[in-house]
Amino acid sequence: MHIPDGFLDVKTATATGVLAAAGLGLALRQARRHLPARRVPLLGLSAAFVFAAQMINFPVAGGTSGHLIGGVLTAALLGPSAALIVISAVLIVQCFLFADGGVTALGANLFNMALIGGVGGWVVYHLLSRGVKGLFGRLVAAVVAGWASTVLASIACAGELAGSGTVGWRSAWPAMAGTHMVIGIGEGVITALVLAAIAKVRPELLGLTAPGAGVLEGAGAVVCGEAATTSAEDPVVSRTWLRRRRKPRHPATNLVSAANGERTGPLVVFGLLMSVGLALFVAPFACGWPDGLDKTAETLGFKDRESEHRALPAPAPDYKTPGISSEALATAIAGAAGTVFVFALAWGLARALSPKSARPPHGRA
Amino acid sequence: MQADFLDRHSRLDSPVHRLPAGAKLAAALALVVAAVALPRSQAIWLAALAGPLLAAAAISRVPWGFLARRMLLLEPFVIGVAVLALFAPGGGWAFAFLVARASVCLFAMLLLANTTPFGDLLRVLGRLHVPALLVTTLALMYRYLFVLVDEAQRMKRARTSRTFRPGRSRTWRTSATVIGQLFIRASERAERIYAAMCARGWR
Amino acid sequence: MEVRDLRFRYDDGTEALRGVSFSVAAGESVGLIGPNGAGKSTLLLHLNGLLPESHNAPAAVRVDGLPIAPNNLPDIRRRVGLLFQDANDQLFCPTVFEDVAFGPRQLGLSDSDVAQRVADSLAKVGLAGFDRRAPHHLSGGEKRRVCLAGVLACQPSILILDEPTSSLDPKGRRELKELLHQIPLTKLIATHDLELVVELCTRVVILDKGLIVAEGPTVELLSNEPLMLAHGLDRPHILRHTHPH
Repeated sequence: MHIPDGFLDVKTATATGVLAAAGLGLALRQARRHLPARRVPLLGLSAAFVFAAQMINFPVAGGTSGHLIGGVLTAALLGPSAALIVISAVLIVQCFLFADGGVTALGANLFNMALIGGVGGWVVYHLLSRGVKGLFGRLVAAVVAGWASTVLASIACAGELAGSGTVGWRSAWPAMAGTHMVIGIGEGVITALVLAAIAKVRPELLGLTAPGAGVLEGAGAVVCGEAATTSAEDPVVSRTWLRRRRKPRHPATNLVSAANGERTGPLVVFGLLMSVGLALFVAPFACGWPDGLDKTAETLGFKDRESEHRALPAPAPDYKTPGISSEALATAIAGAAGTVFVFALAWGLARALSPKSARPPHGRA
Repeated sequence: MQADFLDRHSRLDSPVHRLPAGAKLAAALALVVAAVALPRSQAIWLAALAGPLLAAAAISRVPWGFLARRMLLLEPFVIGVAVLALFAPGGGWAFAFLVARASVCLFAMLLLANTTPFGDLLRVLGRLHVPALLVTTLALMYRYLFVLVDEAQRMKRARTSRTFRPGRSRTWRTSATVIGQLFIRASERAERIYAAMCARGWR
Repeated sequence: MEVRDLRFRYDDGTEALRGVSFSVAAGESVGLIGPNGAGKSTLLLHLNGLLPESHNAPAAVRVDGLPIAPNNLPDIRRRVGLLFQDANDQLFCPTVFEDVAFGPRQLGLSDSDVAQRVADSLAKVGLAGFDRRAPHHLSGGEKRRVCLAGVLACQPSILILDEPTSSLDPKGRRELKELLHQIPLTKLIATHDLELVVELCTRVVILDKGLIVAEGPTVELLSNEPLMLAHGLDRPHILRHTHPH
């Protein structure tokens, strides 16, 4: 799903770049403020881990094999902000070290795989694993979230390609979504298998140590406790790395304690960024809404390039939208309304299903 | 260390390798952006972009075979997407243009990656005021990706050597266990690295 | 360096150290030996203030008279150079230069001073000119020596080594040994490599189950076969020839 250079036009590359940069910037700010110093190396190590894990093959059929993408896995283990940084780091290294994924498509790849695949997948995982308790709930959530995030990311990818005029939406969307509906099953199953393997050895990484209540509150307290000691006297090296730990002192959830220590503010912004992206890249095709992005591009002055494109036999059906020029205002309103609608839906759902996330953030010492 | 094949050529010595990393990064980006912004009617200019690239590749002494192999490894993605363009009217021409354009960009980035040590690129990012936390994460990822890829392969081999009844579902479970174990070890290593950083006065 | 009645209990309740007392005089080289799980690594981490103090009696560890306390930590970590067991853990930067420069940079030195220290330290370990190499392109012995350079670049007065010769080939081991011989710092070496202890250390401390079970001159202690065997150790071969009992 790594989009190479040359497949996105300037407006799509710019728009995805802005969205991805905003998301990554926010995640970095979150981490700088709330991530304990001792967890900083974990981000880099997790990124290396995702890279190494992607090199392990899973045989499918007839000699073909697939591999883990790892968005939901990372997010389940580290929480959304940290996962966004980790997956972004993986994509950046893949781009600059192996030329895997284009540099002008970096924003789009980050948007699809880190934001939608990681944070979006985490939202699904988080909501579902709250619905069904225990390891079983986590695993079911992982399968569904792994599948959904893969498919969603591929649809966003198809939308970006079609919006760039590279390929037609009618051929791109069934091809991308269809393939990834199959790939997504593998992704979901592998994610669940890996989480199950981790739960067997270190259940506390999945927040499964303390059965019943108290887990969530405990995690919040750990975050604060750690944040309070991140000064010169922060020599807390837990016993983990001496490889003997079995029973943790805190019923902490995951390593960054992010899933539950995560504040609601950034999640709202992540959700908004994803909604805007989907509204821009997918909604125009899926719902027959006018293409807000095209409109924006025209107003911003990319119009010349576009008309040049259009002078050639138009390859993409999206340009046939008639009478669009007279409806600039309507387009903008429709785009904004769509964004707000999608976002409000997601936000309402999140609020309804996770009452605890609405509690005031813990103060820091 | 088995995995060092991944970036072996970035440390060769040639006039191209000796150029400042920032200049190479800027040149590669400029070239890619130019190619991306190139309208289909001006396709001929792709040749003008490819020319200097091939010359630079020749001077860099990065083996052609290696570059060709990496290109072939990445082309399936390019072609996979470009094939979709065939379904539109005028698709053949569009397909050829897309593949050519993407290949030029791909080659530019491959050449950049294989003539510039990643550490130098990171220093450029640092100078460009990319957030320090991101640069640290990238640096640690680059440093440990080789270690973890090796570790994963060793674990996989150890598992395989004790697998006597291979089967697909068993392989899946084995591989998943390896990945899980890899994460646990990576998180433990992160703590040891933190200790090592503190021992040399971090923060 | 002085350790008095150091106790430490991990989160899970295991007592790793149960009252350890010993001291290392300036200029001395002391070997710390004992079976796996004796508490050697835990002890070394304490000497660099890397484990929380809350479980200890106050000021159990003193370095140059300074107790280990939060506001002393930067100073103590500068004085005590710690070489970790796994070279890969200690070499966390993308290039050799960056890695050796890490400590001096944390000390707030100017760029030219940092470069000078890096050059000096690399020369000391015999790796001058390795600046731009990447750690993953180095051999095991080279990695270990870069780690040592990174520690020396902070100009410590005490060197603490955790299994310095583990996973080195004989050549790497010999080179490291010669290097350590030439470094005129106070040394505390935790190791299973008893021949290294015989060659480098004048005094030995035997740690078992979190307690010091014996302490004394190297040759005397290591030749005591019953003592050695009782604590999961063995009499080194060199001593079989020189001190036949």
